[in-house]
Amino acid sequence: MLQRGQDWLSQKLTQHASRLVTYQRDELSVELSATIGKSEYEQDDGEGIVTRAQVRDFLINTKDLLSSVIGTWPRRGDRIIETDGEITFVYELMSIGNEPPWRYSDPFRIKLRIHTKLVDTIE
Amino acid sequence: MTAPLATVIQIADSVVAEINAGDFSKKSLSAQRLYVPNFDLEDMKELRVTVVPREVEYLPLDRVSNKYHATIDVAIQKKFSKGDAKEIDPLVMFVEELADYFRLKRLNSYVAARCIKVENAVLYSTEHWTQFNQFTSLLTLTFELAK
Repeated sequence: MLQRGQDWLSQKLTQHASRLVTYQRDELSVELSATIGKSEYEQDDGEGIVTRAQVRDFLINTKDLLSSVIGTWPRRGDRIIETDGEITFVYELMSIGNEPPWRYSDPFRIKLRIHTKLVDTIE
Repeated sequence: MTAPLATVIQIADSVVAEINAGDFSKKSLSAQRLYVPNFDLEDMKELRVTVVPREVEYLPLDRVSNKYHATIDVAIQKKFSKGDAKEIDPLVMFVEELADYFRLKRLNSYVAARCIKVENAVLYSTEHWTQFNQFTSLLTLTFELAK
């Protein structure tokens, strides 16, 4: 029953709270629906050298990614391209703190939570 | 009239000038002096070389002068895509070229200062590698002069 509820919630998120993004790995790319999970600023001052980055989590249906041309789990270095009006934002899959670049977002593995950082903005 | 600059700043500026004028495997460098290298990941698509004055040490030389040691950090940074040998090896080579260049070097625009020590304690930062897919290497140069 809990899994049915999670399925329903996942469908609603995809229908009403998601936007189309392009998931890219090398020459392969696919358009997928993604819900924005988190967006914040991160800073690392390792060795006294500060690098800052916009962090963004994308929630994508596991099935959608695995049944696409990408065909496997997310990989570090994959890119997610999000277009907002005239501006294109390029995000790259990366670890956040001690977490790997992605994890399941729910106990039933229906959605993937993919961690990214902004690497380019094209206007 | 420009205000006089502290010795360590003059040395750092000379290091910047030498890097920008040098003949290295990486061309068209635009090294800059900063107090804190502080960049957005988006800015790291191109190779960045940052010169940072870090530390000054006064050691007695005689009754009226000191042996003056200025420690200067040179940060070499670039965002990579895959992080494979093809991408990273040339960056490590560039760091070595800089290290070789400054070894025992007297600065052209500040000849009183001579580089007496070159360290590359951070060949690459694993934090920046894992968190930002970014190559960050830190070269530490120590210059000596009597002052």
